[in-house]
Amino acid sequence: MAVLTIGVFSSLIGSMNYDFALRLSDAAADKGHKVNLWFSGNAAGSPIKGQKHLKDYSHGEKPLKALLEKGIEICTCEACSVARGVNKTNAIEGVQWNAMHWYLAKIYSSDRVLHIGGE
Amino acid sequence: MKLAVFVSDYKITVDTLDRLSAEKMGIIFVGNGVYHASIKENGKPSFLFDKSAHFYALKEDLETRGVDPSGIDSRVKAVTYGDVVDLIMNDYEKLAWL
Amino acid sequence: MADIKLAFIVQRLPYKSENPKLAATHAMAYQTVEILLEDGQTITPALCYIGEGVLNCVKDQKAMDIYGITSTEMHFKSCLLVDMDVYVCKDDLEKFGISEDRIADAEDMGADKKVQIVPFEAIQKVMNTANHLLFF
Repeated sequence: MAVLTIGVFSSLIGSMNYDFALRLSDAAADKGHKVNLWFSGNAAGSPIKGQKHLKDYSHGEKPLKALLEKGIEICTCEACSVARGVNKTNAIEGVQWNAMHWYLAKIYSSDRVLHIGGE
Repeated sequence: MKLAVFVSDYKITVDTLDRLSAEKMGIIFVGNGVYHASIKENGKPSFLFDKSAHFYALKEDLETRGVDPSGIDSRVKAVTYGDVVDLIMNDYEKLAWL
Repeated sequence: MADIKLAFIVQRLPYKSENPKLAATHAMAYQTVEILLEDGQTITPALCYIGEGVLNCVKDQKAMDIYGITSTEMHFKSCLLVDMDVYVCKDDLEKFGISEDRIADAEDMGADKKVQIVPFEAIQKVMNTANHLLFF
């Protein structure tokens, strides 16, 4: 088993990069790898609960919960999230809140790092 | 270094890739990057094929865009998400997303 | 215990994208990451500006005066202030017609570290020696 850390900086809706990151995380977890997901920049607006799944838009809540159930660690940049109106009271439960050093610490012990910059 | 580069766009930021060098390079087309594997603009294949690299395209993103994976450039191998996981864990040590 | 080297590579223009600032802030987090690591474990970042990314490094940016937001220049200078290696691609400065004297430094903030304006080959070497690459 290896450790994969993915940094996601793209928005939930609009680029599909976010969707890619979630699908890749899922595939890696299915193969027995440990996966860490870090949200920063526009991705930090995504861990908000109560998202309505309209079929014209990418959807984050349901797949994030599924990844959490698989044991994937998901953490959002607190500053980036609160700047976008997402806070601990309206966030998806199980998503961690921390600062950028969380991402660097996970990278430290990772075999592979995929950093997906924003738009 | 053994570098896997994810190309997620058709025309943006590929100038960076043009300059990158590695002992072993894999170029993985994802998102709109898969058009590099499937379009011949003015009859010419993507200039990315001038790079000395192994080429892959994400099957799911080809099919999302109405492209039949069996009809893409013969230099490109269509791969699934699971295949991408194996590639980055087994064949490459560093990853770049462009 | 080991040191992990990270190359933060900025290739995007300032302001249109949040990426260049986030590159600097994430790189600067190397100073606080020790609270989550064991003794002797360290991270050493290098911040590299290439392509259009070199336009982040031009001095006298007035984003705070005009839009009320921290300038990309301030993030750039802060990285020098915390003794980070900061590289700017000389080839790309020449390509865009930007003279080296237009590149910011952090001497006014008391930084000892100087920005390193180097050919792309030198930045490629930084990438070769890094454990992981982070493109912004």
